[in-house]
Amino acid sequence: MGEVMTRLGWALTDMVVQLLEPHERVAVCGDLVECDAGGWHALRQVLGLVARRQAALWMEWRPWFALFGVALPLGIVLSHASRWWADSSAHDIALYVRIWEWSYLGYPGWRRDLFEVLWSISLSVAALSAWSWTCGYMLASISRRTVWITVIAFALVVFLATLGTPTVFRVLHDKYAGHFYGVVLPRLFRSVFVMVPLWWGIHSCRKGVPGQTLLLAGAAAVIVLTVLKSPGLENSLVLGRGVYGDAGPDRTFGTGDDPRPLWPVALVTLWPTVYILATTIGNRPRRLDA
Amino acid sequence: MLGEFEYLMLTAAARLGDDAYGAAIRQEIEDATGSPCSIGALYTTLDRLEQKGLIKTWMGDPTPERGGRPKRMVRVTAKGVDAASSFYNAVRRVSRGVAWAKS
Repeated sequence: MGEVMTRLGWALTDMVVQLLEPHERVAVCGDLVECDAGGWHALRQVLGLVARRQAALWMEWRPWFALFGVALPLGIVLSHASRWWADSSAHDIALYVRIWEWSYLGYPGWRRDLFEVLWSISLSVAALSAWSWTCGYMLASISRRTVWITVIAFALVVFLATLGTPTVFRVLHDKYAGHFYGVVLPRLFRSVFVMVPLWWGIHSCRKGVPGQTLLLAGAAAVIVLTVLKSPGLENSLVLGRGVYGDAGPDRTFGTGDDPRPLWPVALVTLWPTVYILATTIGNRPRRLDA
Repeated sequence: MLGEFEYLMLTAAARLGDDAYGAAIRQEIEDATGSPCSIGALYTTLDRLEQKGLIKTWMGDPTPERGGRPKRMVRVTAKGVDAASSFYNAVRRVSRGVAWAKS
């Protein structure tokens, strides 16, 4: 039992020590091995050093900017957008699953409707993934060594910001009382289309994977996606909280003349893309003319 | 002016000479003070002293007893010697005539 606990302590130490810079990591581990430290003693020592290092990092403005300027505002927006699009996708999926007949594919109108639904869902998940990827890239770019704390805060906001609020789909349709549509699908959307791309963005920034051309093309794609999905994004903050917005001059809600007071929300999602563009263009090597 | 722990580290590193590195300095301080010295305090103070130019550190060669990991070697600079010397003299001066300094 004692040996198992020692191994567990060392296993945890090996995880925590990853938060240190590589050169410090090997020196500290070497010191602990040399003085024959027990697993839990080693863990306490490393935790103490990590805490001091993190405290020093948080004395600067960059981690706070990453937390309050990027992670929290985007986390709130992506939390609502992911649940709203999970619900609207669930609405369409449930409908097609209920009435599906392979023979319907023979009808052009049915095919067109199905294509439009699939296109809409694809655009939604592409927009979510793109916004999350740029968010991760920006977080890692601003403050690499504190990114794990920022990501934990971001994840908490993404999964909890909509807690206690319904969407109009949930108000109108009792199928959202079901476990899959009401609980599993929104979590799946948030995990697969928000958290995974976020991690990928962080990884890409650390490894320096994307070239400038790819980054610029990606930024252009994100801007197009944002323009296309901006109305849905605004709906996610109104209908996505179970509230109906104001109707336009035609006094009919849901038509093209409805006011869009929340249009600036799209700018929040574009914020990391603008940052990436600015830093990419700023770092582009200048041609030296002879 | 140095802090108390900074002085202890400079003194331990100076005493150890070419054998001064993280674990050895830590052991030296614990032996001298009888109090535990945390790795967190040790490494953050090493960084601070290096930023002040009082020590120079570098990564040594890997050794088998450390599982093949290198040591963070430490050398006190001339500026560090001056700072430690000033601190020691200040402690001696301020302690003159007090009961615990008579021995």
